[in-house]
Amino acid sequence: MMVSIDLANGSARRAFALSTDAITGKATHRVAGGPTGLDEAVYRDIRVAAGFSPAAPVVEGYVGVPELSGQPLRLVGIDPFAEPPFRDYFAPAAGGANGGSLDASALTTFLTEPNSLIISADAAAEAGIALGDTLTVNVAGREIAARVVGLLRPADDVSRRALGGIVFTDIASAQEMLDLRGRLSHIDLIADDEAALAPIAALLPPDASIETAAARQNAVQQMTAAFEFNLSALSLLALVVGMFLIYNTVTFSVIQRRPLFAVLRMLGATGGQLFALILGEAVLLALLGSLLGLGLGVLLGRGVVGLITQTINDFWFAVNVQGVSVPPSSLIRGLAVGVGAALLAAIVPAIEAARTAPQSTLRRSTLESRIRRLLPWLVVAWAALTLAGAALLWLRGGGLFTAFAGLFAVLIAAALLAPPLTDVFMRLVAPLTGRLLGALGRLAPRDIIRSLSRTSIAVAALMTAVSVIVGVSIMVGSFRGTVIEWLDQTLQADIYVSPPNVTANRVIGALAADAVATARTWPGVARAVSSHTVQVQLPQFGRLVQLVAVDGDVSNGNRPYAWVRPDLGDDPWPALMAGEGVIISEALALKENLPTPPPDITLPTAGGPRDFPVLAVFYDYSSDQGSVFIGDATYRTLWDDARVSAVGLFVEPGQPVDEVTAALAARFAGRSDVLVQSNEALRRGSLEIFDRTFAITSALRLLAIIVAFIGVLSALLSLQLERARELGTLRATGMTRRQLWGLTLLETGLMGATAGLMALPVGYALAWILVYVINVRSFGWTLTMDLRPEYFIQALLVAVGAALLAGVYPSIRVGNMEIASAIREE
Amino acid sequence: MIKERVREAMVGEGAPGETAPPVVRLEGLCKAFEEGGRQRVVLDKVDYQFDRGQFVVLLGHSGSGKSTLLNLISGIDRPSEGHVSVLGTRITALNERDRTLFRRDHIGFVFQFFNLIPTLTVLENVTLPQELAGRARRELEPTALRLLDRVGLADRRDAHPDKLSGGEQQRVAIARALAHDPLLVLADEPTGNLDDETGERVLALLLELTRDAGRTLLMATHNPDIAPRADRVLQLHDGRLVE
Ligand SMILES: Nc1ncnc2c1ncn2[C@@H]1O[C@H](COP(=O)(O)OP(=O)(O)O)[C@@H](O)[C@H]1O
Ligand SMILES: [Mg+2]
Repeated sequence: MMVSIDLANGSARRAFALSTDAITGKATHRVAGGPTGLDEAVYRDIRVAAGFSPAAPVVEGYVGVPELSGQPLRLVGIDPFAEPPFRDYFAPAAGGANGGSLDASALTTFLTEPNSLIISADAAAEAGIALGDTLTVNVAGREIAARVVGLLRPADDVSRRALGGIVFTDIASAQEMLDLRGRLSHIDLIADDEAALAPIAALLPPDASIETAAARQNAVQQMTAAFEFNLSALSLLALVVGMFLIYNTVTFSVIQRRPLFAVLRMLGATGGQLFALILGEAVLLALLGSLLGLGLGVLLGRGVVGLITQTINDFWFAVNVQGVSVPPSSLIRGLAVGVGAALLAAIVPAIEAARTAPQSTLRRSTLESRIRRLLPWLVVAWAALTLAGAALLWLRGGGLFTAFAGLFAVLIAAALLAPPLTDVFMRLVAPLTGRLLGALGRLAPRDIIRSLSRTSIAVAALMTAVSVIVGVSIMVGSFRGTVIEWLDQTLQADIYVSPPNVTANRVIGALAADAVATARTWPGVARAVSSHTVQVQLPQFGRLVQLVAVDGDVSNGNRPYAWVRPDLGDDPWPALMAGEGVIISEALALKENLPTPPPDITLPTAGGPRDFPVLAVFYDYSSDQGSVFIGDATYRTLWDDARVSAVGLFVEPGQPVDEVTAALAARFAGRSDVLVQSNEALRRGSLEIFDRTFAITSALRLLAIIVAFIGVLSALLSLQLERARELGTLRATGMTRRQLWGLTLLETGLMGATAGLMALPVGYALAWILVYVINVRSFGWTLTMDLRPEYFIQALLVAVGAALLAGVYPSIRVGNMEIASAIREE
Repeated sequence: MIKERVREAMVGEGAPGETAPPVVRLEGLCKAFEEGGRQRVVLDKVDYQFDRGQFVVLLGHSGSGKSTLLNLISGIDRPSEGHVSVLGTRITALNERDRTLFRRDHIGFVFQFFNLIPTLTVLENVTLPQELAGRARRELEPTALRLLDRVGLADRRDAHPDKLSGGEQQRVAIARALAHDPLLVLADEPTGNLDDETGERVLALLLELTRDAGRTLLMATHNPDIAPRADRVLQLHDGRLVE
C-alpha cells in the first residue's frame, strides 16, 4: 500500500518533472510575462538588441488530442532553429550517434506547413498513429486539424517518457491555436551567471521578469505538495496498522513453537540465540512479504496513479502520466520500511521467545501479570502522548508535518489505551453478560482479560482502523456538506457559459467574443456577470494563484466571507467594483499565514508590480491554490486583456429558467467551443470532482478494515493455540461444539464492541484534527464539522462485524479440534 | 430422560440382574493411530464390561493406551473399530453432539493435570458442566457447595485455581466431576501429578465419593501400589486388556 502510493505519487510528480524538464531542457532561466504572456517583440530584442544567445521562444498551453491520449497534453510551440542548445532531441539530424531523431525534410515541412505537429514516436506507436496522419487538437472546445510531420525518437529513456505528454508545433501555429497571436509564453535562456542577464533585464517590459528554472518548478510543485503529503501520511497509517499485524503473526509463530523453544532452552540455547532466531525469521519473512508487497504495490500503483493524476489534473495542472515508472529508490525505500517495520513489530515477541523458560507451562500467566502491572503506566503514557500530540497540533506555524505528527501521536496514544480500557470494559460487562448468557457470558469477558496481551492488541488494531474510518468519514462528509452549502450560496446565477474544459475544475482559455455578447443579451436574461481567470505568480510569496477579474458577484451577495474589512459592512463587493482593492481566498490567507487584517497584496500588472489593499477574505473550496478577485475594470486597464473565460446569467424573474437555458444551448449547438450549463449541472459537476478526489479514501478505509480483520484473526488463532488445553477441557466436561462457537464469537464480538466504542471518541478526535488542523494547513479550507449519528453507528457495526467475521474461521477450527489431543497429558 | 431410566434399571430394581446393563461394555474395541504413514495399534479388539459400584484400576506402563481407552469410553475420541456402550447407551453410535451431551449428563472426568478453568472461581468450576447444560447457577450452588464441603474446600469457593495447591486443585476437579451425580467416573492418573501423601488423600476422597456412593470408578494409573485397593485390576498390555 505504502509502496503503491509512493509509486503513484512519485509517478505523477516525475511525469510532471519530466515534462517540465523536457520542456525546460537545459535552460537555466526564463523570461516570463503576465497572464497574457510576453510580446513576441521581446524575443527579438533579446536576440538583436541585447545580442543574447542562446535564447528560445516558447508558446505553450494545454490541449486535448483524443486520438493520442485521454489525458490533457501540453502543446508547445517552438522555433526549431533556436532549439538545439536547449533540447537535444531537436538537434540537427546530421547523422550523429544518437542525435538523429528528426530528419531534415520533417523539419522543413514543420516550418513551412501550418498546424504541423511533432510528437513522440513511442506515443504515436502506442496510439497507432503514423507519420502524415491528421489529428484533432482540441483547444478549449475549438477543434483544429493538425498533421503529424515528425516523430521524435530521443535516445535517452527519460526524454522519451517525458515526451509522451507533449505535442510540439511551430510558434506561429501554437499562437494561432492557443489564441495568443503575437505573444509568447516565455523565453528560455541559458546563462552562466546572473551578470550575463543584466542587459536583458534592462530591456524587459514592466510585466516581464527573469526567473530561474528551478524557482518556477518549485512554485508549481508546491501546489501539489500538500496533497502528496496527505497521501503519504495515509500510507504511513496503513503501515502502522500493518505493524499490529506483524506483531500478531510473529507472536503466533512464537506461541506455536513454545514447546520447541523450551526444549531448545533445555538443550542449552541461550535467550539471545532465540531472540536472534525470531528476529532473523522476521527479517526473512519481511523481505519476502515486502517483495510481494512491492509487486502488489506496483500493480496497485498503476491503479492509484490514475486517481492521483485525475485529482492533480482536476485541481492544479495537467499531468500526463505514461504508465507507472518504478524507480529503484522507491522500491528500496519500500523494502527498507517494510523490513524495518517488521523488525520493530517483532521485537516484543522475540523477547517473549527469548524469555521462554525451560518449562513452558508457566510462561503465559507471568506475561499477563506483567501486562497487568503495565496497565496504569499505559494510561500515563496515553495521557502524556495525547498531550504531546495536542501540543504539536497547537503549534501554529508548525505546518503539515507537525500536524500529522500530532495526529499520529493522538492515534498511537489511543492504541496504548486499548489494554486498560479493554480491561475496564470487560469488568463492566461481565456481570451483565453473565446474567444474560450464563456460563458462556461469564467466561468470555474473563478470557479476554486473562489474555490481555493478545486481545488488547487485536482491539487496538481494530480500534485504530475503525477510528480512521470514522475520522475520514466525518471529514469527507463534513467536507462534502460544506462544499454543497458553499456551492448553494456561491453559485446563484441560473446559467453558466464557458468554454468546455480540458481539465474539469479550471477554466483554461477564453470564450469567443461573439459568444460572450450573445449570452449577455439573450432574451430573458436579466443580468450577466463575467469572470476571467488567469494564473499569476505573486512576487510576495512566490506562489502561483488564480487571478479572477469579475464584473459582478455571481453569488448575488450570498457568498460567505471569513473576514470583511469592518468599514465595508458585510458586502465588500461595491468596493471591489470601485477598484479599491482585491478580495482574496481563505486558502491564500491561511497558506501564507496572513494576519487579520491581511496586508496589501502585490500583483504583477502589465505596468509592473502594484499593491492592492485586501477588502475581504472569502471561502473558496474550488481551489486550494489561492485566488484573488479583482474588479473587472481594474484588470482590463492594468493588464490590457479583454478576454472573458466565463459568463453567469441571471434569468429575469418569472421567466422559465429551463427554457431559457435550452434555448441558449440550442443557439450554440454545433459549437464545440461554448458550453452552456444550468446551475444544477454545474453543481453536479463540481460534486463529481469532489467525489472523485476522495475516492482514494474509500480504498484506504477498506484496506484498514482488512488489515484489522487479519489482526483480530491472528490474535484469535494464537489465543486458541495457547488455550488449547483449556478449550479441550471445556469440551471434555460437556461443552458442545455450538457452545464453543458461541463462546468464541462472544469473545470476538466483545472485542469488536470494545474497539468500536473506543473508536467513537478517537474517531471523533481524528475527524476534528483532520477538519480543523490538517485540512486548514494543507488546503487552507475551513470546514464545518458535520456530525451525523450514522458515522458512529456505522463504526460500531463495522467493528463488531469485522470482529465477528474474523471469529468465524477460528471458531470453526476450534470446533473441529481433537479433544483427546488437546487434553493429552504428557 | 435416559438418566432416570438407567438409574431405575440399576438401582431401583435392586439387584444387578440380567435386566440391568453393565456400566461400561466394550465390544471388539480397536484403536490405531496413523504414525508416519504406518498404523500403530494401541487397542486391539478389547472386549470387556464393568459393573456398577466397582473400583476398577487400569494399570499399564506409560504409552500403553490407558488414556486412549478412557477417552473412548467418555466419547471424547472415537474407536477405529468396535463399540462402546455406557449405561446401556451405545455411545459409539451417537453423533458428536449427542456424545457431548451424554458425557455431560452421565460421566465425570478427573484429569492428571486437574484442568480447571483458570478464569473461573472454584465454585464456578464445579457448577460449569451443569450450567453448560442450561441450568441456573443459583439452583446448582447448594449441591456444589455441599460437594466442596465434602472435599474440604468450601472456604475457598471464590478463589481462582492458580491460587490453590495441586492437591486442592485436584479436589476441586473431583467435585466438578461429581457435581452432576454421574454413575460413571473416569480418572486418568489423578494422583500422577501429586506427591505421595497428597495423592493418598485425594485417592481416599475419590473412593469415598465414588465407590462408597455406589458409583463406578475407572481409574488409569501406572502406579501398581494402588492395585490392592481396587475391586478389579486390569492390565493393558500390547493392546490387550487382561485381569
Ligand atoms: N492423537 C494421537 N496420535 C498419534 N498417536 C497417539 C495419539 N494419542 C495417543 N497416541 C499414542 O497412543 C499410545 C497410547 O497413548 P496413551 O493412551 O496416552 O498412553 P498412556 O495413557 O497409557 O500413557 C502412545 O504410544 C501414543 O503415542
Ligand atoms: Mg495417559
